[in-house]
Amino acid sequence: MLVLTFAVAGAGNCVELEGMPYVFARTRVASLVMPVKCAHRGGPLHLAEFIGSDTRLTCPWHGRRVSVTRLLAQSPPAVRRGNTVTAVFRVPAGTRHTIRHLPLSAALSAAGPRPGGAGSGP
Amino acid sequence: MSFKPDYQPFVLDGDQLRQTVINYASNPLYLDNEEWQNDDNPYRRQLRPQVLQYLDFSRVLQPDEILTYSALAANRLLTTIYEADLVLLPKTQFAERRADFTGFYSTTNRVQGEMIRPYLERHVFGFLDDEVEVTGPWTKDDLQAFLRRLQEEPDDQPSKSELAIARSSDPKRALRNWLIQFAPDFLAEASPMIRNVMGYYGPVQSAWFKVIIDEYGYGVHRTKHSTLFERTLASVGLHSDLHRYWQYYLASSLMLSNYFHYLGKNHENFFRYLGALYYTETELVGFCRRAASLMSSVFGEEADTLYFTEHVHIDGHHSRMVLEELISPIVDQCGASVIPEIVRGYEEFRVLSQIADEDFAAQVQWMDSGPENKNLHDPIWAKVEAGEITAPVAHLVEPRGELSNTHQHDADELCHIRSGTMKFVSGYDAHQILEAGQGTVIWGNRLHGAIIESPECVYEIHSVKDYRACLS
Ligand code: FES
Ligand SMILES: [Fe+2]
Repeated sequence: MLVLTFAVAGAGNCVELEGMPYVFARTRVASLVMPVKCAHRGGPLHLAEFIGSDTRLTCPWHGRRVSVTRLLAQSPPAVRRGNTVTAVFRVPAGTRHTIRHLPLSAALSAAGPRPGGAGSGP
Repeated sequence: MSFKPDYQPFVLDGDQLRQTVINYASNPLYLDNEEWQNDDNPYRRQLRPQVLQYLDFSRVLQPDEILTYSALAANRLLTTIYEADLVLLPKTQFAERRADFTGFYSTTNRVQGEMIRPYLERHVFGFLDDEVEVTGPWTKDDLQAFLRRLQEEPDDQPSKSELAIARSSDPKRALRNWLIQFAPDFLAEASPMIRNVMGYYGPVQSAWFKVIIDEYGYGVHRTKHSTLFERTLASVGLHSDLHRYWQYYLASSLMLSNYFHYLGKNHENFFRYLGALYYTETELVGFCRRAASLMSSVFGEEADTLYFTEHVHIDGHHSRMVLEELISPIVDQCGASVIPEIVRGYEEFRVLSQIADEDFAAQVQWMDSGPENKNLHDPIWAKVEAGEITAPVAHLVEPRGELSNTHQHDADELCHIRSGTMKFVSGYDAHQILEAGQGTVIWGNRLHGAIIESPECVYEIHSVKDYRACLS
């Protein structure tokens, strides 16, 4: 297991390992650590928007749609604390990785759905 | 006639909440003190009911509001409410405190506290819902890898608070104030944790109990951790009766200890407690090692650091125990769906620890800047007199001995003395004497109080908002 901490937004918001860049995306469906290479021809999913669908992102290259729920189910488990995210990648701890910046589309930088209020009562 | 169940949630509307809060805090035990310290009376806490009508506890504080007066007031209330569950006795003179004992444990105090507690918890801790977000499918192996990483992080880096103490113009004063911040947590140590030992939940219950036995020094009072902390306090000239230094607690210090009560009191947060407990037990190892050496470097030989050195050993052990004997088996028992809650508690406590670290460091700077803030009065006052600065102003006249119990303002203010003498207090053992014509800048969100030391003092408070802007 490789546990990495990187930024949610701004400098250092992308971690790349084994040839795949990942970013923390906050979509209206869910927040998740997502791979940003489209499964079709490697298009830039970090620039994907919701077009004609509320739940599926559209790849800017050839318009293929990918379900956020499906991405979430396959995503590395992660936790965001403020502007920092820590994710667990299921690769050997010593796996080489780099951290850099990738711009995010509006669809990926929306704040996630708000969970319920704290506390037991009201 | 048939019974038609109509189950309604418990709700207080805005007015009911405000009224109940004010009534709760108007308990004679919670009114302003005429002294800076409480005197061996664990039931007395200053809640300043006179200003509660201006606060809105029905809303969630935002991250940039978490050190405001509203947060301090709510945390003072919460500490008081949670502690009605604990057995607290004065060290001596119980007979004289008997009426206070009765008032503190009275039905009215307890029931009204319970009514307002969920709102106060939401007010203070609600921001964590946005601050921490757990995502993705977690397995037990992911969790182990995630948690173990903390054990590998270097723990020799001093915190902001520790740096502030080391660099303070008065490190002894700074360090005493620091120890005071831990008193609400350390003196009633492990009380929140014990909330989770009651019940019926399998083998983890027994493991949980073992952690508590350690904290309680295996029933030997001399070795109970709170006893060790009392010795630490005494070695630097501080008393150890509970909440003697109530007025010097910062909002964030109370928030840290309230957080564990919040998790332990509301058992739906049981799994979050495990994550937070792991974080604190693991962090404490490095923290205690650094604290012991900081104490020795500031106070030399006289400092009793056994509390801290003892924890260096026991908490490394506890950290492993929490992981292997609490967290791992509870995930086996309850399933992977509880993991996000464990991760959440871990990160939430991390957020709060960071806030408290920065808050205390700022308080040291605030205390150290007393003479400078007094000097800064003059140029700003000159601008006020020249009409270059116009800010809302309050005119006050107070008699000798009038003590403004500690509080803070949401923005900077300028205090100007027209006549008389004020002792302006910015922390334990930190004050400036302000005479007629003098005054001080008061930083926003910084704890302070005052006492009048002349037959009468006439003074003004100008709400200048940003004192730095006034100087440019
Ligand atoms: S690369 Fe994404 S649709 Fe073709
Ligand atoms: Fe004030």
